[in-house]
Amino acid sequence: MSGPASGHGSIRLVEQNCTSCMVCARECPSWCITIDSHTEPVPDLPAGARERTRNVLDRFEIDWSLCMYCGICVEECPFDALAWEPAHTDAAPSALVLRHGIDELTR
Amino acid sequence: MSASTVPPADWLAAATAARAEGFTFCEWLAAVDEIGRPGGRDVLRVLLVLRHLERPTQTRVLATELDRDAPRLASLRTLFAGAGWHEREAGEMFGVEFVGGDARRLLLAAEFEGTPMRKDEVLGARSGSPWPGAKEPGESDASPSRRRMVPPGVPEAEVWGDRDPAAPAPGPAEVAGSAVGGRARRRRTR
Repeated sequence: MSGPASGHGSIRLVEQNCTSCMVCARECPSWCITIDSHTEPVPDLPAGARERTRNVLDRFEIDWSLCMYCGICVEECPFDALAWEPAHTDAAPSALVLRHGIDELTR
Repeated sequence: MSASTVPPADWLAAATAARAEGFTFCEWLAAVDEIGRPGGRDVLRVLLVLRHLERPTQTRVLATELDRDAPRLASLRTLFAGAGWHEREAGEMFGVEFVGGDARRLLLAAEFEGTPMRKDEVLGARSGSPWPGAKEPGESDASPSRRRMVPPGVPEAEVWGDRDPAAPAPGPAEVAGSAVGGRARRRRTR
């Protein structure tokens, strides 16, 4: 369990694990997670294989002014792409600055 | 930890008897709205968890079921002073009247109207704001097409909001059953 023992300050995105499946955004009770993604053909398929697509994450945003740190997204993520982070989110002069994207969340 | 369900009229007597058996610590009291879930019924369930202080692993769980339209129950605060806090919360959140209890609000603002923890309480502001979960994987804009996803707490528009004005008002079970979120279903009745 990744709970209080490892620190509860904020939530970190493990970008390479995220499949843009939307489970966290749908489970979030505070509606604080925003995800944009698109699909791309999978490159380097073996010859003759059926063409396949995969989701590519474009934007992953947590609005810390809305987040209540319940951890449901961490629990629900089927791919362990969200994890508790001991460090707290920095204070900010306005609520807009508390919208953290992929860069801030993977830092 | 299974609950023994008692009739509402026996609530105080059952708690008094449990206390006499040594379950002297009131750990928790709360309500659950049973409406709208599969097999759900038109009741509010009130639960009480008592703990035995000399045998701390032992708990006693009492439950009772109240009519959703007129939920009244005897207060336990003369028995367990701490239960008064829980009763104030359950009272304001679920609209339960605890007879002999403290009717003051605990968490809600004085001007707030409604019973926010009841399952047929519609989160009105949410029905008017875009839900981040409406998008499908691989999308950047919510497509209005196909099998629409709806957020929990916001009933389907056909039930609440865009409902045919000539139709009768939706009942609590219909609103609650419709507000569980997930894929918007086709209308099952009518």
